[in-house]
Amino acid sequence: MVKMSLDSVQVMSGQAKELKVAPSSNGDSRGSWEEKEEFHQDNLGLTTKPTPVTGRRARKVEGGVFFPKPENAVTIAVSTRVLFRTDREQKVFQQKGVEEYLRYQIEHENEPFAPGPAFPFVKALEAVNARLRELYPQSEELFDIVLVTYNHAHVGIRLINTINHHNLFIERFCMTGGSSPIGYLKAWHTNLYLSADSEKVREALAEGIAAATMFLPEKQTEVSESQLRVAFDGDAVLFSDESERIFKAHGLDKFFEHERDNEDTLLDHGPLKGFLEALGKLQKKFYAKGQRLNCPIRTYLVTARSAASSGIRALKTLRAWGLEIDEALFLAGAPKGPMLDKIRPHIYFDDQMFHVEGAAEMGTIAAHVPYGVAQKHNAKQNTSVGK
Amino acid sequence: MASTIENTDVKQKDPDRAVVVAVTSREVFEDGAEGDILALRDDMARKLLMLMHEMNERLQQESAKELLQFDVVLITTDSQQQQQSSSIISSTKHHGLEISRFCFANEEDFVESLQTNNVQLFLTSDKSEASQATQKGVLSALLDHQEASPPSDQLRIMFCEDAIIQPDTGPTPANREAIQGFAAQLGEIRRRFSLADSPLCFILVTAHGSKDSCASSLLTLRSSGISVDEAYCLAGAPRDPIMPLLQPHFTIRISFSDLEE
Repeated sequence: MVKMSLDSVQVMSGQAKELKVAPSSNGDSRGSWEEKEEFHQDNLGLTTKPTPVTGRRARKVEGGVFFPKPENAVTIAVSTRVLFRTDREQKVFQQKGVEEYLRYQIEHENEPFAPGPAFPFVKALEAVNARLRELYPQSEELFDIVLVTYNHAHVGIRLINTINHHNLFIERFCMTGGSSPIGYLKAWHTNLYLSADSEKVREALAEGIAAATMFLPEKQTEVSESQLRVAFDGDAVLFSDESERIFKAHGLDKFFEHERDNEDTLLDHGPLKGFLEALGKLQKKFYAKGQRLNCPIRTYLVTARSAASSGIRALKTLRAWGLEIDEALFLAGAPKGPMLDKIRPHIYFDDQMFHVEGAAEMGTIAAHVPYGVAQKHNAKQNTSVGK
Repeated sequence: MASTIENTDVKQKDPDRAVVVAVTSREVFEDGAEGDILALRDDMARKLLMLMHEMNERLQQESAKELLQFDVVLITTDSQQQQQSSSIISSTKHHGLEISRFCFANEEDFVESLQTNNVQLFLTSDKSEASQATQKGVLSALLDHQEASPPSDQLRIMFCEDAIIQPDTGPTPANREAIQGFAAQLGEIRRRFSLADSPLCFILVTAHGSKDSCASSLLTLRSSGISVDEAYCLAGAPRDPIMPLLQPHFTIRISFSDLEE
């Protein structure tokens, strides 16, 4: 295993900070996000505490844009089951049907949900936004987090209460009441969609939207609150699955031979390439203000390829695409778990359930990208990671 | 002088329990010569009427004595249409439209006619007509013949909250009092159907307000009797890209977030 970067991995000892409980929002308007710019910073910690504005009329502003236009922002769409923990409610739905499920939700409307697997990722996105707003107060190039669910709007109040309780800056959402949310993802130029439903994720991928399935982890280790860390597998995630096909059909030797023969041919792009690109654009905004060493976004490639041989093609491809990745870790087939545990990413994308499960066992937040030839293999495995 | 005539081909509804919806003759028919059978303007009105009729039938399936029904009135709003009364009546029957009453009124008195007929919702694509009706307390919604054709198996009613007051976009948004009676009955109709696969669907769109104003609208609608099925909070994101997905049959503009009052 070779680490291509000389940087030591910065592991922040993320203490889980106690989030301030926001008052229930019923009837109170929180005001525009311009007011939310008054936040407190401690050291590197970027816990933003929005100033609550009570009793205000919805602001009538020329143009009235509270939040970035979808095409300017990096839009991250998350479903309720990945942003929050709704396993109890899921059971009610499965055992007693939709009417009982909705009744239960309304009954518990003032009980906020607990954080789900995508929660730390979303918090980290907000931390990056806070830094971006400091440096570029007028810019719309921010992360825009949107809640996209096919939940029924009866759950709406509970979801809004929960968002307020956790102090999340989510103002856009869509509750489609059962129909497919894919159209909305496209309409809002979604850069990444996270859901617990692999079917919806596949649909999104088929429409060219980067997407991944997240699962309820049994354990989750702490992650940084000040630096967003995103880790990617290479084949069938950043790159196409062409090399994996060769490996699966003809074995390791043929794989190496093919990679060597095609060293100077770029790999085709995979479903998450666009998202890495979007992250890179935001990183450059920090570099432009002299924040390279202090950049709150860090990206990792964690691949089974080996540095000396097959890894070269991957690096050449990334370079040709103009994409920088902060750390490229070539494991040459060694297990990914321990390395991921050191990195502690807010999210790790892999196309193989085997790796996703292995990472999750060690507490890494891993998301499955159901793309490419590995899926036929996945179908035979019994997914034991709970939803 | 406005007159109201019953359509003898269609069963009359109970005045206390029915949800009275008025639609202007111009939404339904093309102009034509007196004495002719008038052509339909497009499919929109016909589909709308069919959906309400189908819901009426389903409501009656559960109880033959069911009085909770949609009651559709066709109203003329200018003297030219008013004079086409016999054409309008015969064309309605010819096309088999489920209209229970005709109101032949003109520019001066159509609003009064709406009131005397206890119309709870007035549908028109004419902004000025809608504004006039709203000013006199009749809830109005704008029809849009340009919109992508909405589904034929579900009546989709959109409530849209706009924090931005834009000039010249039709009737002033309805406040809570204005939708009260209509909402209560409509909500009751909705509850007779199941949560999934319902022939009636309520959509809330908060165009410019925050999620908290969306929450407040959800609660206000709920306390008025309407539990919304789909909710979208746009926070300023453009509405046009999602209109083909929302597919409302008509939109009722609301403004509930008067927190200072």
